[in-house]
Amino acid sequence: MNVRMGEIAVSAQSDCELVALGLGSCIGLAMVDWEAGIAGLAHIVLPESRGDGRHAGKFADLAVPELLARVRSLGARVSRLKVAIAGGARMFALEGTMDVGSRNEEAVRGALVDAGVTIAAAHTGGRQGRTLRVHTGRGRVTIRSAGGKPVVLLAAPAAPSGRPDPSPYPLNMTNAFGLAEGI
Amino acid sequence: MTSSFTELQLDALRELANIASGSAATALSRILARDVGISLPRALALPLADAVDACGSPEETVACVVIGVDGDLSATVLLLIGLRHAGNLCTLLGVEPGTEIGDSALGEIGNIIGTSYLNGLATMTGLRLTPGPPQLSRDMLGAIVATLLAETAGAEDLALVLDSELDVSGEPCAISFLLLPTAGGISDLLAPLGLAGDTP
Repeated sequence: MNVRMGEIAVSAQSDCELVALGLGSCIGLAMVDWEAGIAGLAHIVLPESRGDGRHAGKFADLAVPELLARVRSLGARVSRLKVAIAGGARMFALEGTMDVGSRNEEAVRGALVDAGVTIAAAHTGGRQGRTLRVHTGRGRVTIRSAGGKPVVLLAAPAAPSGRPDPSPYPLNMTNAFGLAEGI
Repeated sequence: MTSSFTELQLDALRELANIASGSAATALSRILARDVGISLPRALALPLADAVDACGSPEETVACVVIGVDGDLSATVLLLIGLRHAGNLCTLLGVEPGTEIGDSALGEIGNIIGTSYLNGLATMTGLRLTPGPPQLSRDMLGAIVATLLAETAGAEDLALVLDSELDVSGEPCAISFLLLPTAGGISDLLAPLGLAGDTP
């Protein structure tokens, strides 16, 4: 399912793909509870709603709590939730334009802290566009930069596994370029 | 999908785009010494997500030249060229595609036809338009368009895209030409035509 600018999608299907294509300054925010088989993705455009409640998915301050509420309503548990963010690039250095990308990232990180959720992986900043994919069936969250190959940002624990945090990747990475693997 | 512009306003914007892309086509034709055709322009007033989709396949990597516009109108001019077509354009210009000189030539072409487009607009509307320096990049189409729309449309969920296409005759070489005005810029464009009345 293609999650476009300002949209939020959640799924409890066992084999579903949620995709944010061509993230530039926008942020793709993925939340997954592998154990419950629940995933959600928001394609966030701007940092602040400034009281405009019409488009919850568009603004970081509204989209973060909205996505969280929607995955929880499907049965996801915050304690099991893995969160990845991607995007927030500075695509152009035009004079007089604001760096929306880094402001978006800051706002999303801030809203996640407020919601009490930690980020497990991030692939943000830089100058390149990206595509973020959440595959529930394959238990993968992947990122692909323009002209590049997909890289795994988050992976579901290999079943069966009793470990509480089986993620093979360190927490709070700001850049996951080193994580390329065959997928 | 509703537009808050009247048909009359959209017609006027299409006509502006038509004349402006005519100037751009003339400039390109002079440089290449070839005929350059222009498609019928579109004036699209769409929600942001639909506006991105209307520009093409979001994940396709394209070459683009971005020119910020200042002065009496706040807007962005965006030229999009498919990677293969960008290569063809370089070849037509006698420079090697993918090299520093090739890129510099693409940026310069973008600059010349972008400013010709703006001159066309300025002549029609009497607005003083100041183009910024051109920036060339290669990236995902969706990332380029979405980023520019996020900055120009701001909090509005309505984007206006004036879109036309230049085609170099006899060559697979098409350049998409987009003008993305800011929310305030749209009424600035319509005001000289006496049509600013009720822009959203």
